[in-house]
Amino acid sequence: MADAVATMAKVEAVEPVAEVEPEFIELFSGAALGATDAEAITLRSRTHLVVFAGAEGSGKTTVLASIYEHLNQGPFAGYRFAGSRSLLGFEEICHLNRLASGGVQPDTQRTRLTEETKYYHLALRGTEPGAARRDVLLSAMSGELFRMAKDSQEDAERLTFLRRADTIVVLVDGERIANTAQRASAQADAADILESLLDANMVSPSCQVEIVFSKRDRTTAAGQTALDFLGKTKEKFDGRFRARVPLLSFRNIAARPAPSSVPESSEGGLAEAFASWTTPQAFASLAEHQGAPAPSREVREFSKFGWRHFERARRNP
Amino acid sequence: MSNPANLLFIGLPGSGKTTFLAALWHVLTDRSSATTLRLTKLSGDRTYLNQITKEWRECSQVPRTNLQGEQVVVLHLDGDGFGSFDLSIPDLAGEAFKQQLTDRRISRHHDAFVQAATGVMLFLHPDVQKGPQLTVARQLEATLSGGQSGDTGAAVTGQNAWSPELLPHQAKLVELLQFLLERAQRKLRVAVVVSAWDLVESVGKPPHALIARELPLLQQFLEANNDLLEHSVFGVSAQGGDITLASEKRSLLELDDALMRIKVRQDHDTGHDITKPIAWLLRGA
Repeated sequence: MADAVATMAKVEAVEPVAEVEPEFIELFSGAALGATDAEAITLRSRTHLVVFAGAEGSGKTTVLASIYEHLNQGPFAGYRFAGSRSLLGFEEICHLNRLASGGVQPDTQRTRLTEETKYYHLALRGTEPGAARRDVLLSAMSGELFRMAKDSQEDAERLTFLRRADTIVVLVDGERIANTAQRASAQADAADILESLLDANMVSPSCQVEIVFSKRDRTTAAGQTALDFLGKTKEKFDGRFRARVPLLSFRNIAARPAPSSVPESSEGGLAEAFASWTTPQAFASLAEHQGAPAPSREVREFSKFGWRHFERARRNP
Repeated sequence: MSNPANLLFIGLPGSGKTTFLAALWHVLTDRSSATTLRLTKLSGDRTYLNQITKEWRECSQVPRTNLQGEQVVVLHLDGDGFGSFDLSIPDLAGEAFKQQLTDRRISRHHDAFVQAATGVMLFLHPDVQKGPQLTVARQLEATLSGGQSGDTGAAVTGQNAWSPELLPHQAKLVELLQFLLERAQRKLRVAVVVSAWDLVESVGKPPHALIARELPLLQQFLEANNDLLEHSVFGVSAQGGDITLASEKRSLLELDDALMRIKVRQDHDTGHDITKPIAWLLRGA
């Protein structure tokens, strides 16, 4: 009897455990990406990381959403849409600009602090013949996050991936610049953010930093005084940061301009801006300064020339 | 031409997959018209094909495939330059593709079809919207009124919370193709079929131009991924007209030859050969 039990036990022991294969195979989530998924994209191919930083309401998410919305209408900034691992994430931040939202005026979902350090992916291909495919990651971060990084190691670690940023766009709220009571704060907020970025070692020497005055239409509508203040702000920033940021530039945009009777103005300078943000300018600029050989065609072909080609093609169909 | 060949029909509910299959079966069994592909023999259980084709012949709504009623049909075909081959086509429910988008997973059963697919037919109904934008609507309003729109004040918060079901049609189709590429991990040949072509025929644009105008995100995706997706766009009217209109249905039923109901357009060529998209897919196999 004891032998019989032992034999049975042996049989049971060698019997393979049938593994039940799951009935479903998981697919990618399509939501805005966390740092790990974003990093996986960078490992797969050369990826251009663009970080939008700015105070609350400065238009970071609106810029990000507008880029995707323009691609929804057709090729944009010299690029064709070639895919996205975060299509649902884009759709979610665009929801308040959709008729399906039940809204009347375009709006953008505000970035919640808990959702920060999320990334939005775009695979793009230049509109010019033979253009190669490229990956772009976009992220919108509030100034608060960078300030926190100065004080907390944990918060600083959350930003590790962001240190790879190829382009940092610091957004200055153009509507606040147009308001005499708020313009000094708007200027100070943006300066504080850039200072925090530098303190958090976010800006590598090859990182392009662009100070972008958003809501250009609102600043222009406010008149010459507002435009003069904007000019002085640029001068002030240039004097204060140029030495620490070799690739510093300035731009005015209106990512979602007020409706106008001139349809050509509907992209508010965003196309040219996006082309510039996604061009590895470091190569071109550094090469120029250091007398290095001209950048390879692969480096140059996107955005810079692609956008020009796109503009030419648009003008002369 | 090697055999067998496997096609995969993908599309959201109501995109015309089963109606295409019904019209195809009628054409193949009728054998009276010159088609690129021809039926060589009848075999196997044809109950399902006969059932959907009966509805098609009577100009009735071909019933949509539900998740429980999915079938795999096998057609024995030949054609000049193709030789003889067995073509297998699973008639999958559009609901399953809708679920892939919301549940973010694919059944192993469907994945097996993806792995085996020689070619893919992506069906879409022309009555789709690209996800109308408030900015575009307001810009249009301003352009039509010839000046600045008065109200640029605070936005009114949307009433409907976002959910994946609200994805615009073109985003859904791009996502389905991305799933396909993710699972297949190889170059695919895709015939994009704009079904109910009769509804948009009067616009006078070829099918690819219609896609460019109505679904620009999808069109860019297809063109920008031409190294991964070789594609061609077809306009297919399998029913021939709007069968919900009594007068139109009567006209269709009165045709001496039901084959004349079918219209297939590729670029600027229009004909009645419903096997054309399949032949295009298999030429690359």
